[in-house]
Amino acid sequence: MTATVGESKVARPTGPGSTGSTRKADRSLVAVPIIVVVGLGLVALYLSTRTLDTIERRTINVENITARLGEHLYLTAVSTAIVIALAIPLGIVLSRPALRRVQPGVLALTGFLQALPPFGVIILLAFSPLGLGATTAIVALVVASFLPVVTNTAVGLAQVDPAMVEAARGMGMSSRQTLWRVELPLAVPVMVAGIRVALVLNVATATLATYIGAGGLGNIIDGALRLGRPTATLVAAALVAALALLIDWLAGVAEYLVRRRSG
Amino acid sequence: MSDDVRPTIARPMIARPTIAHPMIALQGITKTYPGQTRHAVAQLDFDVPDGNIVMLIGPSGCGKTTTLKMMNRLIEPTSGRILLDGEDVTGVDGDQLRRRIGYVIQQVGLFPHFTIADNIAVVPRILGWDRKRIDTRVDELLHLVGLEPRDFRDRHPRQLSGGQQQRVGVARGLAADPAVMLMDEPFGAIDPITRDRLQDEFLEIQRQIAKTICFVTHDLTEAVKLGDRIAVFGPGGVLQQYDTPEQILTHPANDFVAEFVGSGAAVRRLSLLELSRLELEQISVDGVDSPNGHPTYRADAAGRAVAWSHLPGVSEMPPLVTVPLSGTVYDAVDVMLDMRTPLVAVVDHEDRPQGALRWDALVRELPTKGRRP
Repeated sequence: MTATVGESKVARPTGPGSTGSTRKADRSLVAVPIIVVVGLGLVALYLSTRTLDTIERRTINVENITARLGEHLYLTAVSTAIVIALAIPLGIVLSRPALRRVQPGVLALTGFLQALPPFGVIILLAFSPLGLGATTAIVALVVASFLPVVTNTAVGLAQVDPAMVEAARGMGMSSRQTLWRVELPLAVPVMVAGIRVALVLNVATATLATYIGAGGLGNIIDGALRLGRPTATLVAAALVAALALLIDWLAGVAEYLVRRRSG
Repeated sequence: MSDDVRPTIARPMIARPTIAHPMIALQGITKTYPGQTRHAVAQLDFDVPDGNIVMLIGPSGCGKTTTLKMMNRLIEPTSGRILLDGEDVTGVDGDQLRRRIGYVIQQVGLFPHFTIADNIAVVPRILGWDRKRIDTRVDELLHLVGLEPRDFRDRHPRQLSGGQQQRVGVARGLAADPAVMLMDEPFGAIDPITRDRLQDEFLEIQRQIAKTICFVTHDLTEAVKLGDRIAVFGPGGVLQQYDTPEQILTHPANDFVAEFVGSGAAVRRLSLLELSRLELEQISVDGVDSPNGHPTYRADAAGRAVAWSHLPGVSEMPPLVTVPLSGTVYDAVDVMLDMRTPLVAVVDHEDRPQGALRWDALVRELPTKGRRP
């Protein structure tokens, strides 16, 4: 065909990942690692000017920090994995024509769960048969971060252009093929954004797991606060902040890549 | 019949088509949507002959799109039978059925996360063709729709213009070489100039592939231009008339069709009448024949007409303007109005004059040579 150069500009808008916001995302993706490195550097610099007493040395050492960081990452990873495994199928099921009518009700319920303060949920769950420990903390984290993943899955699937689905079905794709090859790939950017929110929520909320004996970086903060060691509190708090920023950054990179691929 | 001389018949005319071999047949089809008492389509008997383009037209909500979507069972009929090439497909698996029928929609619906080649290859992949066969087919189809495979195969839909996307949409519909294509206003969302070009290309493609095509449109000009037959739908999904474009324009079956066709019907009809089918007024080269009553022109060495030399009944000599024999009466009228001349010379593909058409002749019955060969 005689395609003029001007004509090709009439291409469809690329949705949420249009040029403007992509460029903004680019900039923040570069900025975050710099902020984290500079921040941690400043904390290290401050530490080097201080002489630590025995109590401080017992918490602020590589071994202890690595162990608590490991617990923190474990809580975050397991809870997020469970959320993904449960919330995405639920979101998909809710977006099917047969169940679309109950979608608002289910989303209201998960919204209610998220509105509960995570600290309260963690403490309350400790009085349940689950008792103290990591399992209880993970259940609480799942409750807290369930909503964004369900919502974004359902919304992501709902915003797929109906023409895509009509074209797919009209060509003879089964409803399952349409879901896997057309609807889900097109919904992935929105779904990944939901998972990113869940991840960040879980990193932050895992700090509270220490109160039911599930460890994590919150353990250092809590201990240092009780013993009146502001330096140790500062270090642990800086670590939690840096971790949250880094995980958000990683998820952001993933989201950016996915969005660029599915244009 | 061969010497049948009637005005404005450009195509074979059958009063109410009785079709020996319908590719698609709808028998007593009714569709009522849940919760509605009115039929969307009521008791429809409809045959689409093999190799024809049938245009479904009518006001919005008349059931033309519903009818189209019942042919591939995207919408299930409430009652009635659907036959595809003689086979009752009312109860077969819908997905399997749709893989045998091409489908093109107005919004094109290309998958943005697929390349152009992958978009075209959707149905062949589902059907399990091998890679080499798919690649060959994709290139063949891109050529057919006028897109250079080397440039377009690996692009994504967003890098294409609306017109190019719709070409890919047509190629995708043709991918598995279905006998039947269903098209739902495929050129509806495209600017008029591109649309006109796409329609011409579409007719050219159809000349090569001769598919059975059902085409929904709301544009009468498009229906007249593309259709071998036109089905006019009215309120309540009732088929009002199903006939050739000529018959629809000249003999509307009822007041509804007459009103739908509108006051422009007489002018529209001109675009259906090809100049090659007219008995043109005889003209000759100046000096060769005795100019006994018919116009003569001066020619150059190659036999091309350059000017009129003698025009009986015309006082002021107009400039000599030509129209190709492959054009329509509409084109001739356009040129006459544009150049303010009372007659045009009709020339063959080598620019040699074949005859003349006068303005006066238009308001008389245009003499034709009977059926198109």
